[in-house]
Amino acid sequence: MVNVTTNAVKQQEKPINMSPFAIARRKFLRNKLAMVSSFFLLAVVIVSVLAPYITTQDITKVNIGSMSLEPGGEHVLGTDKSGRDVFTRLLYGGRISLLVGVTCTFLVILFGTVVGSIAGFYGGFVDGLLMRFTDFVLNFPFLVFVIVLNTILFGLVNGLWVLIGVISLLSWGGVARIVRSKILAEKENEYILAAISIGCKPSKVIVKHLLPNVLSTIIVQATVTFATLIVAESALGFLGFGVPQSIPSWGNMLSASQEADVLRDKPWIWMPPAIILTITILSINFIGEGLKDAFNPKSNR
Amino acid sequence: MLKYTIRRIIGMIPMLLLISIVVFLLAKAMPGDSLSGEIDPNNTNPEYIAEMRERLGYNDPLPVQYFDWIKGFVQGDFGKSTRYKMPVSDLIMERIPNTVFLGVSSLLITYILAFSMGIFAGRKPYTIGDHVIGGLNYLGLAIPSFIAGVFAIYIFSFNLGWTPYAGSVEVGLQEGTLEYWISRIHHVIMPAFVLGALATASYTQFLRNDIIENSRKDFVRTARAKGTATTKIYNVHILRNSIIPLITFLGFDIATIISGAIITETIFTYPGIGQLFLNSVTTNDYPTMMAITMLLSLLTLVGNLIADILYGVVDPRIRLD
Repeated sequence: MVNVTTNAVKQQEKPINMSPFAIARRKFLRNKLAMVSSFFLLAVVIVSVLAPYITTQDITKVNIGSMSLEPGGEHVLGTDKSGRDVFTRLLYGGRISLLVGVTCTFLVILFGTVVGSIAGFYGGFVDGLLMRFTDFVLNFPFLVFVIVLNTILFGLVNGLWVLIGVISLLSWGGVARIVRSKILAEKENEYILAAISIGCKPSKVIVKHLLPNVLSTIIVQATVTFATLIVAESALGFLGFGVPQSIPSWGNMLSASQEADVLRDKPWIWMPPAIILTITILSINFIGEGLKDAFNPKSNR
Repeated sequence: MLKYTIRRIIGMIPMLLLISIVVFLLAKAMPGDSLSGEIDPNNTNPEYIAEMRERLGYNDPLPVQYFDWIKGFVQGDFGKSTRYKMPVSDLIMERIPNTVFLGVSSLLITYILAFSMGIFAGRKPYTIGDHVIGGLNYLGLAIPSFIAGVFAIYIFSFNLGWTPYAGSVEVGLQEGTLEYWISRIHHVIMPAFVLGALATASYTQFLRNDIIENSRKDFVRTARAKGTATTKIYNVHILRNSIIPLITFLGFDIATIISGAIITETIFTYPGIGQLFLNSVTTNDYPTMMAITMLLSLLTLVGNLIADILYGVVDPRIRLD
């Protein structure tokens, strides 16, 4: 008897007519790991965006008087080999790394979704053509081609935008494949047939009927892409082929660790970007897992 | 099966041509002579350059130049390195054994670790051990390889002094002796571990989930009812079924190792193809750079082809479409 009543009370607490997105939001808000990660990511974003207001140090000025200072005193995290404040560079680096990550993710998701949904909706010849093109792009070894393209385009346009363009150009394939397979499954439903038969234009069917139903997949895919692309940007920066060295980014800061004496004796120069990068990627992954879980109707948490 | 394999290989040819055209056009877009490396970049005399360009056929129409280049490439003529003043093919042959050694070691480490962890976690799911392995996997998937590599050098090479942090073998050892091979293994173990971390994590995760899933199936219940020992059920009945889908990962591993080798070899200053590639980029050695780009694209394509064919081996339904 007691059991029955508690169940009934629980049922009453839950609004009965929740939309799928409301259910997902509720599940996500209850996921502690994902929420902690979200707050961390939010904090990183806010601090990076407000960097000019938080510190007044000059990031570009080479200061011979304070080279390789250990943490403490005036410089919270010490200074690097050119006498630049590590903490300040960390904040500004976050700006660039996140900017590259967000912009590339936006472009990749946009392009991948457009190609994937057109291929999936029309099928037949269009599908074959677009998917062969996708296979073609996916067959390039990513890192090798980013470096080669960067070398060719370097100096022609502002380095940052070249990098964003090149990374995006080579990364949309996976998203296109996933969106296509989801659209293929979704368009078999009768409401799509109904929409087409009452004379909806294909563009309207895709945008108004198909995309909202695959949106959860796209959102989850976007978080995964975001994490992957931040890693890609910092890996390139680490190798010395990313954002121009004059602009601080987490990857550029990490590239200092390629000098043996920095790596061995001056861990305060390379450890902060390494740690903040790892935690950021972990939290993006946790958010992605949380979203995946929240959108999955079978999971009950 | 043979028919499917042949169809896949034939289907690869247009992709191969397209990629070679892209590489060729990129090489043409590079400054200077990036295909043959015959023109000395230090000699800026315009007459010399004009004469060499004429002799090397740089004034021919693009398609002719493309066919000349691809003809040479197929025969192993990759041009001449402008930095080392020797054929690129010799340079590459010198480095390939190191990269192959690294790749194979990394795969071995991956298999050994992933199998032991995956089998353990799959057999005892939701225990402390399983959660620890799950946590480690999560780290393996999330931590970028260059950060893992940098930390590995800092901890194991500098602070503990267990492993060397550069090179592929100690200088001065006689090739072929036991010490030589021990030194090579000693040098390769850290980079191989870092290179294999990502694959290890995904293998372990897959194996664990597959073993748990299989252990609920009817054939396991039958085996239990017969009175088969639990160890035998897990190691023979279930494992055999769980290994099959893992085969398909091999093809993707080739692609992952190629991209990963560039980063790992740079961190550990390991003299392989990846390091040669990056050095050629920084020293503007374009012929070497383009030859390696073409080679690595080729290998990625072969890796994807192997994955495709293995899919057909494992899942007969795929062969039909």
